[in-house]
Amino acid sequence: MNNDKMEGQSFGIPEIKAFQQNRYPLLFLDRVENVIPGKFARGIKCFSYNEWFFPAHFEDDPSVPGFIQVEALVQTFLMTFLTIDGFKGEKAMGLTWEKVKFKRTIVPGECLTIEYHLTSIKRGIAKGYSTSFVGEEPACSAEFMVVIPSVMQKFNPK
Amino acid sequence: MKNLATYNNVFKESFAIDEQKLVGLKYQDIPEWDSVGHMGLMSSLEEAFNIEMEIDDIIDFSSYEKGKEILAKYNLTFNE
Repeated sequence: MNNDKMEGQSFGIPEIKAFQQNRYPLLFLDRVENVIPGKFARGIKCFSYNEWFFPAHFEDDPSVPGFIQVEALVQTFLMTFLTIDGFKGEKAMGLTWEKVKFKRTIVPGECLTIEYHLTSIKRGIAKGYSTSFVGEEPACSAEFMVVIPSVMQKFNPK
Repeated sequence: MKNLATYNNVFKESFAIDEQKLVGLKYQDIPEWDSVGHMGLMSSLEEAFNIEMEIDDIIDFSSYEKGKEILAKYNLTFNE
């Protein structure tokens, strides 16, 4: 499928798993909407009490751990560039996390909606920024740099 | 002098390294200058000097000193 045909499409779990290599228990997206390859993706993750981490975080007051919120942002970010022709299914690694902010607690029964904007992808390095919401309330936000090692290695000194 | 300070700062910030360790530094001499660190360094240099490096130059950029030679192609001078 070329980029033009994909623009604005929505993807469920089978397609998300085809585009990126994160898997249970570390796949933190249920659905991705309005994918514009090379530009934007909107990720959705709903947290039920059946999530594996709630009994441990915390037993008397369950909430979504910060690192999992950040990972959901990153996984939405992946969908902005692994949907570009030639990158489907590639492994990606985090390079930097910056300006990470948590604005509210997320509890069982809530859905996180993530909006991720890709600002550049060059030589296998993708940069972008995100905001996220629970309903209309701002949740976490961050800026990431992520690399695609298979592309990046072509530019390393011998 | 300003370019040299900028060049050194990019190295220091990219690899969390002291300035006195820059002379003689080569690719993969330190854990921070690995394949991922290399791309971060190239990206930071491009941003700091507002240039876009060619692929061959990125591949040839194998040391602190070699980097200065390569950046001279982009009209950057590094008077000590």
